[in-house]
Amino acid sequence: MPRRDYLGEFEHIVVLALLRLEDRAYGVTVRQEIEFRTKREVSIGAVYATLDRLESKGYVKSRRGDPTPERGGRAKRFFRVTAKGMTAVNRTQRALQKMAHGLDLIGSFS
Amino acid sequence: MTFQLHSHRPPRLAELAVNLFAPAEQAESILGDLHEEFSQLGSKSGREIGRRWYWRQSLLTIVQFAGRGFRSEPWSTAAVVIGGFLLLRTVHRLPGLVLDVVTDRYLTYWSNHFHAYLWVLKGLRIEYLMGSLFTGCVIALVAKRREMVATMTLALILSAMAVVGTVSGVVITGDSSYLWTLLWSFGDPFAIVVGGVIVRMHRSSAKTRLSAA
Repeated sequence: MPRRDYLGEFEHIVVLALLRLEDRAYGVTVRQEIEFRTKREVSIGAVYATLDRLESKGYVKSRRGDPTPERGGRAKRFFRVTAKGMTAVNRTQRALQKMAHGLDLIGSFS
Repeated sequence: MTFQLHSHRPPRLAELAVNLFAPAEQAESILGDLHEEFSQLGSKSGREIGRRWYWRQSLLTIVQFAGRGFRSEPWSTAAVVIGGFLLLRTVHRLPGLVLDVVTDRYLTYWSNHFHAYLWVLKGLRIEYLMGSLFTGCVIALVAKRREMVATMTLALILSAMAVVGTVSGVVITGDSSYLWTLLWSFGDPFAIVVGGVIVRMHRSSAKTRLSAA
């Protein structure tokens, strides 16, 4: 069987956050988006560690923004999902859907 | 205006700690993100809540990067720490060896200037500290991106060895005055960490200059 890369749970969440935020995706917005939607506390370190890993795999690309005064004169780093990242997130999504197919997950947890 | 800027300043110690543990190329954006959210939270919920949030995020971030330093390359980190330990032993032996040679060669001089000899012996302690600082710098240079993880690991190992050695000394001899030597023993681990901080700060400022250019 050919080896295919799937996203880990948090990697998956981060990539979905990047897709939702489109060109507004940087550390603060990604962290807030994940906290808002998953209702779980997320550290900025966890977000960056995951983004760094995704970037080294070629799933994400980053670019440096301009420094702003409300950030203490520091620059933002914007992220976007690459074509390879899109393939990986689709593959992971499909695998999860296939695994969940036929299971009454909502019923069993309510 | 000045007051407002001051009241929205994140805790400096937390900033420094994040700057030391985060990878040099990410430190600027991470600190910028923390600063931005801290300012938003400070204006909305008050300075104290903002400061507490900043500290909590900083600690979680430090734990994240420290753990990652080990998980991503456990063997090379261990190799750097062991190498550092061996280097430290070698570096610590050197001043004593040099002193032995000099003492043997100029025996008459030292016998006439015994006070000077005692001062040199006391100075050995400072040479040990300088040796530890040097070792910390070398470890940090070798352990790319994991400067603080590598130096702090070695410092913790040395501190643990010092505590075990001192407590056993006290138990065996029954002389509690040995406990004072612990203070000296923590000097070397501290100097190693300082060496790591120096290299990390240097790398960090070089990265910031490069990315700004």
